[in-house]
Amino acid sequence: MEFDVAYLNAQWPALMRGLWLTVQVSALSIVLSILVGVLGAAARVLQVPVLGKLVVGYVEFIRNTPLLAQLFFIFYGLPGLGLRLSLFWSGVLCLTVWAGAYQIENVRGGLETVGKGLREAAFSLGLSPWRFFRLVAAPMAIRVGLPSMLNTSISLLKNSSYLQAIGLAELTYVAIDRISMDFRTIEMFAAICVIYLLLVLTLSFFASRLEYRLNAPFRL
Amino acid sequence: MSASPLISLRGIAKRFGAHQALHGIDLDVEAGSVVVLIGPSGSGKSTLIRCINGLVRPDEGTLHIAGSPVDIHHERAWQQMRTEVGMVFQDYALFPHLTVLRNMTITPERRRGVPRAKAEEEARALLTRVGLAHKAQDYPSALSGGQQQRVAIVRALAMRPKAILFDEPTSALDPETIGSVLDVMKDLAREGTTMVVVTHEMGFAREVADRVVFMAEGRIVEEAPPGAFFDAPRHERTRAFLSSIRSFGEAAHA
Ligand SMILES: Nc1ncnc2c1ncn2[C@@H]1O[C@H](COP(=O)(O)OP(=O)(O)O)[C@@H](O)[C@H]1O
Ligand SMILES: [Mg+2]
Repeated sequence: MEFDVAYLNAQWPALMRGLWLTVQVSALSIVLSILVGVLGAAARVLQVPVLGKLVVGYVEFIRNTPLLAQLFFIFYGLPGLGLRLSLFWSGVLCLTVWAGAYQIENVRGGLETVGKGLREAAFSLGLSPWRFFRLVAAPMAIRVGLPSMLNTSISLLKNSSYLQAIGLAELTYVAIDRISMDFRTIEMFAAICVIYLLLVLTLSFFASRLEYRLNAPFRL
Repeated sequence: MSASPLISLRGIAKRFGAHQALHGIDLDVEAGSVVVLIGPSGSGKSTLIRCINGLVRPDEGTLHIAGSPVDIHHERAWQQMRTEVGMVFQDYALFPHLTVLRNMTITPERRRGVPRAKAEEEARALLTRVGLAHKAQDYPSALSGGQQQRVAIVRALAMRPKAILFDEPTSALDPETIGSVLDVMKDLAREGTTMVVVTHEMGFAREVADRVVFMAEGRIVEEAPPGAFFDAPRHERTRAFLSSIRSFGEAAHA
């Protein structure tokens, strides 16, 4: 059996539909997970009572349990607890919760580079701790943490393929679905690997543009 | 009857672990006056000046600003009063990710509710005063230490504080740029800005201070107008300190 390009051409529309869903789920989850990261890191470094401790527990839980177990918990467990989500939103929730834990640690790492002196300067100008965080610490931490935030985002993008396990028709689901009918395993997996690779490269490209812009104040 | 002092401390005490950094300090700063705080390293100057705006919370004592008491145990009260008392640090502490102009406008906008255009106009006027109007759109990393410190001073001024605290504002600067910062501070003094200045610049103290306060081991040892303080110090501890920095100064200029 040789590599059949004509076959892939015929499957192209289906793959594109899967790709589009992958892009939507991933993009939304990346944005939301960064938001979780910034807010969670804020709760920790500003030592918000109760919430700060909850954040620690959340990060530990997510980092020490398998993503697939988290996904099944959200998809099969939450309805039992009275929360019924669509496939799409189950996927977004799962990826956001998973990546959010890592983004918290990424932002926190960046925050460690924001010195005590800037905090005191902000306070002595009358800024509240929260305003200091939003206007000074978070922007600086995001600049420093950007490379590790990109890594987490790339992992998120690749891990979106786990969502095939709950039946969300994203890129990997489409491929597996076709393989089960046509048995064109090599063509399909080669195709989706190339597509994932292109997605990651695109994401990296935009991240490096962003990094360049955020670094403008530090270039002489 | 004189009006109440702008800043008034009574019995301010601060302990760090087992170390008593301040022992019941009383200090009054009259509106429009300049108080220079000197003393050996570790004598509690920074701790005292930070107790005036709550960067260090005093354990005991009372603080009045313009006659109103500050509730020293409540962060909200400090946040409110900090808009009235500015502070300038040894390491300038400009926000590195913001332009010079934005460094100056961000707190008037967020804290005093000044509209952006008005805040920028005021900031540019202040920058012009310290000869840095052309740096408005630059980032702090493109400025020399002396220029950054002048920006830090006008950033504090942009909040229109009643008083400004300076903690060794020229100690991190190259000798060539110290003068430019001291000139700005002298200008402020002439205009009647209330200032509390921790410094080792004795020339500045002699020329500008209304009162020099000498601290050692967490206590105020002696305070006097600069003439009396430098020419006829009363305490042995003060004389020893002054002769030590004089010989240091001579060595430095030799
Ligand atoms: N945050 C702190 N924690 C512990 N000790 C401190 C702290 N800040 C100051 N001290 C101690 O208090 C004393 C006074 O320090 P400081 O006010 O910085 O003196 P100065 O500014 O006159 O050099 C020193 O012994 C210093 O080590
Ligand atoms: Mg000091």
